[in-house]
Amino acid sequence: MKFFARVSMALEGVTIAFEAIRGNKVRAALTISGVAVGVFVVVTMAAAVHGIRESFQKDLDEFGATTFQINRRDPGNNQCTSPDDPCPDRKNPPVSLDELHAIQDLPEVASAVARIGNQGTMIYRDHQLKAVGYDAYTSDWIRTDRADISPGRSFTESEDQSAAQLIIVNDTLKSQLFGDSDPLGKEITLEGKPFTVIGVFHTKAGFLKTLNGTGPDNPRAIIPMMTAWRHLSVYKRGISVAVMPQPSVTRDEAMDAVTALLRSRRGIKPGANNSFYLVGEDRIMDIFNQFFGAIFLVGITLSGVGLLVGGVGVVAIMMISVTERTREIGVRKALGATSAIILWQFLVEAATLTTLGAAIGLVIGAVLSWLVKIYTPIPASIPPEAVLVALVAAAGTGILFGMMPAARAARMDPVESLRHE
Amino acid sequence: MSPQTDDVALSTTAERKVVVQSAGAQPDKDWVIVTRGLKREYDMGGEIVRALQGVDLAIRKNEYVAIMGPSGSGKSTLMNLIGCLDTPNGGEYWLSGQLVSTMKDDELARVRNKEIGFVFQTFNLLPRATALHNVELPLVYAGVGSAERKERAMEALTKVQLGDRAMHRPNELSGGQRQRVAIARALVNRPAILLADEPTGNLDSTTSEEIMRVFETLANTGQTVIMVTHEPDIAAHARRVVVLRDGKIASDERNQKVTSSLGL
Repeated sequence: MKFFARVSMALEGVTIAFEAIRGNKVRAALTISGVAVGVFVVVTMAAAVHGIRESFQKDLDEFGATTFQINRRDPGNNQCTSPDDPCPDRKNPPVSLDELHAIQDLPEVASAVARIGNQGTMIYRDHQLKAVGYDAYTSDWIRTDRADISPGRSFTESEDQSAAQLIIVNDTLKSQLFGDSDPLGKEITLEGKPFTVIGVFHTKAGFLKTLNGTGPDNPRAIIPMMTAWRHLSVYKRGISVAVMPQPSVTRDEAMDAVTALLRSRRGIKPGANNSFYLVGEDRIMDIFNQFFGAIFLVGITLSGVGLLVGGVGVVAIMMISVTERTREIGVRKALGATSAIILWQFLVEAATLTTLGAAIGLVIGAVLSWLVKIYTPIPASIPPEAVLVALVAAAGTGILFGMMPAARAARMDPVESLRHE
Repeated sequence: MSPQTDDVALSTTAERKVVVQSAGAQPDKDWVIVTRGLKREYDMGGEIVRALQGVDLAIRKNEYVAIMGPSGSGKSTLMNLIGCLDTPNGGEYWLSGQLVSTMKDDELARVRNKEIGFVFQTFNLLPRATALHNVELPLVYAGVGSAERKERAMEALTKVQLGDRAMHRPNELSGGQRQRVAIARALVNRPAILLADEPTGNLDSTTSEEIMRVFETLANTGQTVIMVTHEPDIAAHARRVVVLRDGKIASDERNQKVTSSLGL
């Protein structure tokens, strides 16, 4: 058959489907609601995951596309949590400050910064804040973090080396401790030790920063690394290093250079495993995808059930529709419709029903995602490919489940169906 | 009046009739319909019902034929076979020179689409579609493009004086208008035969006359018309009347009155 005749017949099928839906609104609504619910659930879920992922990607991009971390243990491997586990990672040494300096001296490396995260109580006069998160950084942090400080300044390398008791606060901490007054030069107490405020830094919003408490909404501070070592009780083995390669160097080249350096310094024999882990943006993304992939699988299963329920509904409504329209089928056959055309017409009708259900589900999902975006920190947004997948899956369901009623219509004898009352 | 007495009345007024000779009919362009020994039997729960028991019928191009007979005479079965809605158990049927009695379902559908225009007693319009869309349907199945389809459907509606009702749905039309839409639909694909099954069965006498005038006009302009009816008043419009009884042709005669008034 000519292609355009097929299209013309498909349009005819869509027209008939809408006429049938108009003729039986309640029945059609019940049928397509299963599909609509299935699509709505999975689309909202996809929107949440997609939004989180986008935001995460943005956080990582801000961190620097080629920047990578040196960790003592594999962040993607949660297997060795119990102290009884034979877990070789646990024996890995932390990156020492000597190693950090050696890495900084590599020609491939633009900057490298060590970080230890901790939290403690901060006091300024009668203001007391408990469990405020702070990072102990080496002086290069301002380059790897692309930090923005105003008013004030960061600390210098010599201030770090001399363990100067200096502190940089973020906007939230500044307003909580000092209100509108100028914080620079003021003295605050962290874990009982006096610190002088030398600057205010700004963090850009990001969903993950918000979730792990490092976003701009939480009070946060930065102090020099050596200061933390000498004056505060921080977990020195928890040190991690962020390495920013030179702009002309790829991340892999920089990683190779760091690996070679650490292996030779640590005397690791050829063939033996590294006693450290280099984690690039892609690896972090992998871990993220692994986690949300599981959530997504649940969503797919749920929507599968929705589509199945919708599909069974389609069989029911189409069976009734075929019986009711026996005479119409007879007339169409008398006018020259072949069995294939009748089959095609009813398949298109079934697919129209389910696709309409999917469209309704998409609209509800879009509205809900928008509400989630406005009222929760989750930056939900519907991925465009999810729209396509939902519509195609729904149409497929219609065709699959419409097959039986459509085949029944196609097989009808024209003489008998014309006689049908 | 019962159909039986009508038949008697028709067949006894012998001076009006001329026996039709179709024995030498060949399935070619001149003879639109040729059947030879056409048989149709139904299995009704083990009992064989012989609805048609060998029908030889030949109809020329441009003829206007009425098929009559009491209920159970096999006229509906014959109509279904002529209309290619059904296939015979025995015998042969040529339509426009093609042997259709051995065709498969899909081929028959295409033959129906191309060669036959149906007009039913109950109109059989699609209730939710406009008059125009109803008339377009055979063209949809013929694979005609949208623009040409609309144009030809409008043309057909205009021919039956319903050009101004194109966008009305069947429930917005009178019985006579509905049947005229059905006639437009039957004609839109320029079929070899117009096959009407009790076309006035659901219409009052005034409207029936109006519909018969449409058939008259079509027959006068060269359209082959075959009409199945049990009403002698209606059959009297035809130029030839075939009477079936017990699955066989009981008589096949020219309607002298009509033919002579036409000067044939």
